[in-house]
Amino acid sequence: MTERLERLTNLSALLLETRRPLSIDEILEQVPGYPDDHASARRQFERDKDTLRGVGIPLRTEASAVGPDVGYMIDRKEYGLPPLDLSETELAALHVAVTAVTLEGGVGAGALAAVGGAEGNPAAAIAELPTVPALPAIFEASRDRATVRFVHRGARRTLDPWGLLFRRGRWYVVGHDHDRGEVRSFRVDRIEGDVDAGPPDAFEPPHDARPEEMLNDEPWRFGDDGAEETRAQLLVGATWAPVVIEQFGEGAVTEQHEDGSVVVAVPVTNPAAFRSFALDLLDDAEVLGPPDLRAEFVSWLRDGARS
Amino acid sequence: MSPRPIAGDRLRRILALLPWIADHPGVTVEELAARFGVSRRDLERDLEILPYCGLPPYSPDRLIDVDIDEDGGVRVRFAEYFARPLRPTPEEGFALLTAGRALLEVPGSDPEGALASALRKLEAALGPAGVTVEIDEPPQLDALRRAAAAHEQVEIDYLSYGRGERTRRNIDPYDVFHAFGRWYVEAYCHRATDERLFRVDRVQSVATTGERFEPPAAPGTREVVFHPAATDPRVTLWLASDAAWVAETYPTEHVEADDGGTRVVLAVTERAWLERLLLRLGPAARVLDPPELRDVGVDAAKRLLAKYS
Repeated sequence: MTERLERLTNLSALLLETRRPLSIDEILEQVPGYPDDHASARRQFERDKDTLRGVGIPLRTEASAVGPDVGYMIDRKEYGLPPLDLSETELAALHVAVTAVTLEGGVGAGALAAVGGAEGNPAAAIAELPTVPALPAIFEASRDRATVRFVHRGARRTLDPWGLLFRRGRWYVVGHDHDRGEVRSFRVDRIEGDVDAGPPDAFEPPHDARPEEMLNDEPWRFGDDGAEETRAQLLVGATWAPVVIEQFGEGAVTEQHEDGSVVVAVPVTNPAAFRSFALDLLDDAEVLGPPDLRAEFVSWLRDGARS
Repeated sequence: MSPRPIAGDRLRRILALLPWIADHPGVTVEELAARFGVSRRDLERDLEILPYCGLPPYSPDRLIDVDIDEDGGVRVRFAEYFARPLRPTPEEGFALLTAGRALLEVPGSDPEGALASALRKLEAALGPAGVTVEIDEPPQLDALRRAAAAHEQVEIDYLSYGRGERTRRNIDPYDVFHAFGRWYVEAYCHRATDERLFRVDRVQSVATTGERFEPPAAPGTREVVFHPAATDPRVTLWLASDAAWVAETYPTEHVEADDGGTRVVLAVTERAWLERLLLRLGPAARVLDPPELRDVGVDAAKRLLAKYS
């Protein structure tokens, strides 16, 4: 164990220091601790290489200047964290942040080691956010301005990721969708498998891009492309009125009655999702209009009352 | 377990430790252990291997020189190639930025304080990160957080989703926290005479009672996921294929293919909950068992329909 750690440290030092790519044979010859048998030594080197890459060391493979073998070196520019100049107070504030807000299954306070360690005291946890496997890869691609490809609900997508947004318990990625030629948002937890990132600096997000304004996340507004938007009028009783107003904002209220009930106007592009929303309020809601939407709602209830 | 992740973790720590020691000569072993979140013994083990590391030909002037003085102060020499710490991984960068952004969104945070400037410096060094975290602020959040901090019993007007009714109850708010997009208050409920979890956005009003409470010695579980109790009634449903999401969304106990769809068993504590589910699913769901609940959906549809006649 200790031997392996020594060898990994020596390997990192050599590959950081070298000015030219080194072949496997050069490495095995210089770094102590590899087995004498050449085949086992090569296998061991492969495992070490994986470990280096696994901890985030930018190990480059390049054509060697001599011989047919490829050569290895660490990209120093990529390796080193530029000086952060974080004050003790700022490091302590980061310590509070990663302990007050925990990411489910995330690296937690361990992330601090990379920027100078834990200063000051941890905080009591007050918030937990979900994480999904695709998030770090999209985060990195967004920072590198790299176009990503992924499968989302069975469909292949090519996207310039302008930003990530956490809203109402869910993560979304917002950006320019190459196939549709327009701004789209995707739920990150519905991305299947790996995210492939292309080369960096492939795009520049508009300087006024604000994901929080681009995301259209009310489910009843999720509709087919180009679906027509209607304005539903929904009567909500006193019990649920405060919750519905909180959700749509005071601006949606078109009538306020003395018994505490209200009428709200709601933009709808997906009638089925809106129907579910209204049904969730049970006896406390009535779809007033427009006539088509009300008729569709009534017909759904009639079918339900018959079966 | 494979030794690789452990070797990887230790390598990463060494690559972070060395630049820190070089920048802070005389830093003590204790301080290093606390800063990098390891035991003193683990940290000493890391330092012990360094004098065997360096560059070919591994002669004394090419090996890392570690000196620990009698006061425990650590100094290193001959490790210039490790002068810069290794960049944070995407996971680490994401964790730092996201936790920081989220905390800035929690009501009461200082938007121009040390955390905000730390995040600006991280972005300056690592590139701008497009991460926006929205943490909502339900109207009664502040009142509940203050009551919890001061151990004050409060009377709340609470909207219960399951029953669709508003109730007034006295609670001892033990803990207010945000989990997966929502604020919750964990409290002792004097009406239920038991601990209960309430959604802060469903609290309609908070009034002081003048009573105080002793917080419990052990912290709560903060369990926000519904776990059915063995005593909760079970319902067997038939679901058409387009209602298969039900089995993935709610804790189901038994799932089997049946007649072009699936048959599932789930716990139902509130009749209103089952009404909502059946109304939403319409022809895509049927209650198979128990017999007395077979008409729950039909009855609810008839009741709602009365408004529209």
